[in-house]
Amino acid sequence: MTGGLSPRAMDATGASYFDGDVPQPRGVTLALTQGQSLLEITLDDGRVVEWPLTEVRALPDISGRAQYVLRWTGDPLARLVSPNPFLLSALPQAKRRAPPKGRGRLIKWAVAAVAAVALQIFVLVPLLADNMAKFIPIEGEKALGEATFGHIREALDDTGLTPIDVCTAEAGTAALNELVTKISGDRAFRQDVTIAVLDHEMVNAFALPGGFVVLFRGLIEAADGPDEVAAVVAHEIGHVISRDPTRHALRSAGSIGVLGLLFGDFAGGAAVLFLTERLIAAQYSQAAETAADIFAHEALEDASISPAALGRMFENLQGEHGDRSGVAAHFLTHPAMGERIRAARAAVDPDGTYFPSMPDESWAALQNICK
Amino acid sequence: MQVEFVGSRWALFWLALKTGFLTVITLGIYRFWMKTRLRRWYWSAIRPGGHPMEYVGDPIEKLLGFFIAVVILTFYIGIVNLLLMFVSFSVFNSSWVGYLASFAGVIPIWFYARYRARRYVLGRTRWRGVRFGLEKGAWGYAWRALVHWAITLCTLGILWPRMTFWLEKYRTDRTFFGSARLTQGGHWTMLYRAAVPFVLSLIATGALVIWLIWIAPLFPQMEGSVDGFVAGVEGFFTEEGPAAVAASPERLLLGLLCILGLIYGAVHYRWTAKRILANHKTAPGITFHSGLNSARIAMIYVLGVLISYLVLTFSVLLVILMGAAVLGFDSFLAWFGLGSMSAVGDWPRWVAVVLMGVLYLSAFLLWGVLYNTFVTFPIMRHMALTTRLPDHHGLDHISQRARDDFAEAEGFAEALDLGAAI
Ligand SMILES: [Zn+2]
Repeated sequence: MTGGLSPRAMDATGASYFDGDVPQPRGVTLALTQGQSLLEITLDDGRVVEWPLTEVRALPDISGRAQYVLRWTGDPLARLVSPNPFLLSALPQAKRRAPPKGRGRLIKWAVAAVAAVALQIFVLVPLLADNMAKFIPIEGEKALGEATFGHIREALDDTGLTPIDVCTAEAGTAALNELVTKISGDRAFRQDVTIAVLDHEMVNAFALPGGFVVLFRGLIEAADGPDEVAAVVAHEIGHVISRDPTRHALRSAGSIGVLGLLFGDFAGGAAVLFLTERLIAAQYSQAAETAADIFAHEALEDASISPAALGRMFENLQGEHGDRSGVAAHFLTHPAMGERIRAARAAVDPDGTYFPSMPDESWAALQNICK
Repeated sequence: MQVEFVGSRWALFWLALKTGFLTVITLGIYRFWMKTRLRRWYWSAIRPGGHPMEYVGDPIEKLLGFFIAVVILTFYIGIVNLLLMFVSFSVFNSSWVGYLASFAGVIPIWFYARYRARRYVLGRTRWRGVRFGLEKGAWGYAWRALVHWAITLCTLGILWPRMTFWLEKYRTDRTFFGSARLTQGGHWTMLYRAAVPFVLSLIATGALVIWLIWIAPLFPQMEGSVDGFVAGVEGFFTEEGPAAVAASPERLLLGLLCILGLIYGAVHYRWTAKRILANHKTAPGITFHSGLNSARIAMIYVLGVLISYLVLTFSVLLVILMGAAVLGFDSFLAWFGLGSMSAVGDWPRWVAVVLMGVLYLSAFLLWGVLYNTFVTFPIMRHMALTTRLPDHHGLDHISQRARDDFAEAEGFAEALDLGAAI
C-alpha cells in the first residue's frame, strides 16, 4: 500500500452536514486521513469534524437509493447526508447496530408485566370470580348463562353466519325433561335446570350458569343406551349445583380483556377463539369433577338408575374417542379416568334393583331429537 | 421551500411484507420493530428542502412502554371489567350496561394515550438534525376532549368544527421544532367551509326520506310513516308481504347515492379541515401552505381499499386451492370443520385450530401490508408533495431543544390499539 498515510479526498458533491444544533445544511469537503482511519469533514464555515471510520454508521431503512444518512456513535445529533455510494463502501461497520441500551430495565418491566398478568389471571380474577359467584342473584346468573350460551353457539358455527341450532323435536324434549325431573328427585335446587341439545357432532356436554345443561347431538349418538345419557346429565347437574360454571364464566370474562390487551388488534380475535375453545372444554378442577361424580352417583342411585352407567359412558368415550383431543375433552382430560370409572362401579349397591332410565320409545325419541 | 417525497411503492411493500412476516412468526412481538422500521422509512421519504426527516424511535423503548402500560392497564381491564360485568348482570340482568360502562371508562384513557403517543412520535422526529417536540399536557387534553365531545353531542354535531379547531389548537400550540413554537391561528368558524359537502348530503338524504315516505310514498299500500317504510323496505328485499310491490323502486338507488355522499362528505371534512388548519399554522418567521386535495384523498381510499381487498381475496383463494391440492379436497374441508368430522380421522382438532390461527394472522398481516402500500403510501406522498413553506427565514434563528425522555413511549396507545396505519 503506497501513500497509506496521505489523505484521500472523497467526492462530496451534494453532501451536507448538520451539526445537531441549527437546522442549516453545511457544504462539506470530505477526506480520509490518518491511514484512512478517520473521516475528516471540513465544513464551509471552516470548522473541521473528525469521525473515526469504525464508529460511523449508516441509518437503516432509508427510502430512496440516492442518499445515505451517516452518523457517528460519539455524537447522537450530528448527521452527514451524502449521495456518494463510495463513501458508504469505505465504512467498515456502517451496518452495525447500536448496542441495546436499558436492557436491565426492559427485563425488569417485562417480568413485572408477566407477573401482573399472571397475578391477574391466576389469582385475582379467580378469587374475585369465586366470590362473585356466591353473590350473583338468580336472574343475573341466568342472564349470564344465556349470554354465554349465545357466544358458544355462534363460535361453534363454522360458517360464522348463524348460531348452530338447538334441537327441539317435541317427543325428544319431553323425554329429556322427564329424565331431568327423575334425576332431580325431590332435591331443592337454587334454580330449575334447563336442558338443551345442540345440533353438533361433538361428543361432549357442559353446564352453564343459571342452571343450563347442554348436550351435543354427538354425545347422544355415541351413548350405548339411555342410562349413559342419564349419567352424563346427572354429572352436569352436579356442576350446576356447585356453581362451577358460574365461576368459570366469570373467570373467562375477566381474562378475555387481559388477553386482548396483550395481543392487541393483531391477534385479539385469535385470543377470543382460544378462550371459547377453553370454555367448551370446561376443564374444572379435579375436586369439582369428583364432587360432580359423587353427586351423579347419589342422584342415579336415588332414581333407581345404576351408577355404573357413568363408568360405562367414560369407558365408551375412552375406547372410541380416547385419542381425539378436544372431543369429549370435558370428560377425558383428567388422568384419573380409571379412578373415576372404578368409583362409579363402587357406587353400585349390590342389593339394589335398578331400572332403565327411560322406556324404549322415549330413548328412540331422544335419539331423534335433532330430526 | 418545497417538500419532496422519494422512495418507491415496491420498496415499501417489501419492507412491510418482511417485517410483517417476522411479526407473525414471533407471535406479534416483532410488531414494535415493524412499526419503527416502517416509520423510519416513511419519515426518510419526506424531504422538506430535499433533506430527509428522521425517526429515531427505538423498538426496545416501545416494548418497554408496552410492558409498563400492561402492568398498569391489566388491573383496570381485568378487575374493573369483571366488577362492571358482575354489577351489570346482577342489577340489570344483561351484559350491555357493563359493556357500555367499561367502554365509557376507557374513553378518557384513550384521549390521554393519543396525546402521549403524539408526544412520543414528535419527540423522536428530527429534521436537519433538530428535534421536534410536544409539551406535556395529556390529561389537559383528555378532559378538554371529553368536554368538547359532550358539547358536540349535545348540539347534534353543529359545533363539531369548534371541537376540531380547539383540540388541534391545543396540540399545535404545544408543538415545537427546536426552539421555535408553532401557533395555530384562525378561527373555528373557518372550518364550516369544509363541512359543506357533508351538510349538502345530509340535506339531500333528509329530502329523499321525506319524498319516499310522505310526498310520493315508495310503498303506497303501507301507511306514510317511518315504521311502514321500514317494513316496506324489508318486504321489498325479502320479497315477502304486501309491500313487495313498490312505486318506482329505482328511487331507492338515490338512497345509495346519498350514503356515498355522506361518506365523501366525512372524508372531505376531515382532510379539508386539515388543509385549512395547516394554512393557519405558523412559527416565528415560518409559514405553511398546504394544497391537500380531498377528492384526491377520497380517490386514494376507494382505489386503495379496492385493490387491497382484491389482492387479499385472491391470495386467500390461492392458499385454499393450494391446501386443497396438497391435502385432497375432502380432508381439507373437514380440517376446517366444513365437511363431516369423520373425514378428519386421526388429525387432532388443535392442529386445525392452530392452522386456522396462522391463516387468520397471515390474512391480517397481508391486509396491513396492502393497506400500507396502496393507501398509506399514496396519502403520505400526496400530503408531502402538496406542502410548502413559503416563508422559512425563521429557520435561521432556530436551535436545538432538549431530549424528551419518557418512559412508556407509546405504551398506552399500543396497549389500547390506537395504532393508526403506521
Ligand atoms: Zn364435569
